[in-house]
Amino acid sequence: MKMYTATIPGSALKVRSRESYYARQKQLFVLLVILMAIIPLLFISWTSSHFYQKSWLDKTTVELTSLANSRREIIDLFLDNQENTLAGYAELYDFAWLSTPGNLEKIFKAMNHQGVIVDLGLIARDGSHRNYTGPFAENLKDKNYAEARWFAEVIENGRYISDVFTGYRGVPHFIVAVTDPSRSWVLRATINSELFNAMLASAEVGPGGDAFILNRQGELQTPSRLGLTALPAGEKSLLATGGGLTIHRSPEALYATTGMKNNAWTLVLKTDIATSLADFYRARQRDHLIIAGAALLILAVSTTLVRSMMNKVEGADQQRMLLYDRIRYSEKMALIGRMAANVAHEINNPLQIIGDQAGWLDELLNEEELDRLKNTDEYRAAFAKIKTQVKRASTITHRLLGFSRSTEGLKSAIDVNTLIEETVSFLEKEANNHRITIRRNLEQSLPKITTDSTQVQQVFLNILNNAFDAIGNDGSVTISTSLDNRQLSVEFADSGPGLPEEVLKKIFEPFFTTKKAGSGTGIGLAISYSIMERLGGSIEVRNGRQGGCVFRVNLPVAGR
Amino acid sequence: MDDIKILLVDDEEDFIRTLSERLDLRDLGSKTALNGEQALGYVGEKEPDVMVLDLKMPGIDGMEVLRRVRKIYPNIQVIIQTGHGNDLDEAEARRLGVFDYLKKPVDIEILVERIKAAHQAKKKLLDSSATAAAFAEAGEYETARDLLKR
Repeated sequence: MKMYTATIPGSALKVRSRESYYARQKQLFVLLVILMAIIPLLFISWTSSHFYQKSWLDKTTVELTSLANSRREIIDLFLDNQENTLAGYAELYDFAWLSTPGNLEKIFKAMNHQGVIVDLGLIARDGSHRNYTGPFAENLKDKNYAEARWFAEVIENGRYISDVFTGYRGVPHFIVAVTDPSRSWVLRATINSELFNAMLASAEVGPGGDAFILNRQGELQTPSRLGLTALPAGEKSLLATGGGLTIHRSPEALYATTGMKNNAWTLVLKTDIATSLADFYRARQRDHLIIAGAALLILAVSTTLVRSMMNKVEGADQQRMLLYDRIRYSEKMALIGRMAANVAHEINNPLQIIGDQAGWLDELLNEEELDRLKNTDEYRAAFAKIKTQVKRASTITHRLLGFSRSTEGLKSAIDVNTLIEETVSFLEKEANNHRITIRRNLEQSLPKITTDSTQVQQVFLNILNNAFDAIGNDGSVTISTSLDNRQLSVEFADSGPGLPEEVLKKIFEPFFTTKKAGSGTGIGLAISYSIMERLGGSIEVRNGRQGGCVFRVNLPVAGR
Repeated sequence: MDDIKILLVDDEEDFIRTLSERLDLRDLGSKTALNGEQALGYVGEKEPDVMVLDLKMPGIDGMEVLRRVRKIYPNIQVIIQTGHGNDLDEAEARRLGVFDYLKKPVDIEILVERIKAAHQAKKKLLDSSATAAAFAEAGEYETARDLLKR
């Protein structure tokens, strides 16, 4: 249901473009709030994650480095130790003593307090076994090493340590061999390499990590924890190091490699980044969830907040626009009022003269010899018409002067219901003529209000006359009064056809009329409007729910 | 009928001449003045019984004429006949003690009736003044005061 109190043409258009303006503002604010809240959140999340990952890598690198160094030292020391012990015996005893059965066994017992030595053998310069103590006497008894590469090497260099290989019992082991100072015979020990395994197994490289030793060919000298039997293709590059300690990093793993046993072997320690960082990744995932949750919350809160804020702003703006429209409308009405009053004033004088001249001519006619005038009756009729029209014009000018009435009308305490009854009594005859019923639905306990009763009555008369015109014949007008805490309202609902929107919008503008030319001046409601403005009240119109027009007059109640 | 001395004051010459002629036709002789100065000059020479006065005039306007006349010649009955007056003017004129306030255009018959009524009022006023004077001479001050108040 639309009410028209003051309407400015084109304001509907303004409202529509304003709506999209508010929608745009809302989007902008939401976006800003989200950016301001979420960007720092994401930044903190990213930097802390990045920082954590980097510090973990640094720490792990340091740990891996020191682990690699310590393992290398231990294993090198162990190998040196075995070699030196063997060399010591080779210098201490001669070939004849060592060849004597039982003597080699004595040395074996003295050396093997760690229990890592599998056997000991004495080999002559020609490659034949001369003495042996160990579990494989039968297998090795007739073996000749003259052609073996290691034998040639030990004769040449004085010392030799082999790679790891699997012997007859499937036990991994390696050989340490030394020759006497004159290089005429060789003392050879087979050593169980499982000790290395134990040393490497104690290296803490984390879940998914690995620790093993490779020879120059990239063959595993110790078993891989992960069960590798050969080095994967991707890790071959680990061998291409100078022998010093090197750190490699691939996306999946961190490696520390170091040469040992005079760079014949390479110790590889591997930490799996993904597995080690799994806890961290889990934590990060949880963080991401929390951040996403927080972002959603921010989104929801900011949207709600911005929406309610913008709605308030929009409401306030609309209120202001409405007020502004009202002010503009009343200014316009006041201006029109002043203009109309001035025009009316200026027209009154010529009207007076026209009327007087016509009256005078009429009177002068009496002094003529009427018998000689052919059209006496026509003259008289014409003068009478002039008089009538002057009267009609002066009715209009006097009504127009209603616009400029002073605000200091005679105010008195009136009972609105009584005023309505009195106004209705003026129109009862006309209502009967047109078979229009006037119903009253009056609130009985109305306070008296202080206002200009004549002017209020003029407003009531204007509205009722309009209603009668709208109804024509057969119908009704219902007058109701009501009170709320600020104002007293009188509603006039007619059973006429109602009015189109365009008419409702303009109904209070002066000289706007839907009645046919000559039958209405179009100023009745305009005057009613300005009267209500002056009296501090208002007048509104709308179409009723059951058809017809509803005019509502609001009068201020003093002291409320 | 007594001769009523009428003064018509209006700056619209056409209007005032016709009005004067029409009053003549009704056996009411009248003098005319086209502005405030003329009107006051005329009043000074020969005091009229009834004055028909327009409000909006160049120079001394009707309201000012009314103010001076009421002060100096309180017996002259003034009828305002104007096309410009608003409620404030009417209230002011009535406060100054105008006999009547008519809005143009005014029908001649109404004007004639008001002029006659004004003349009656003046006669009554003078009568009561005279009676009051008589009472006053006789020492009946209370009665004299009552008569003047009426």
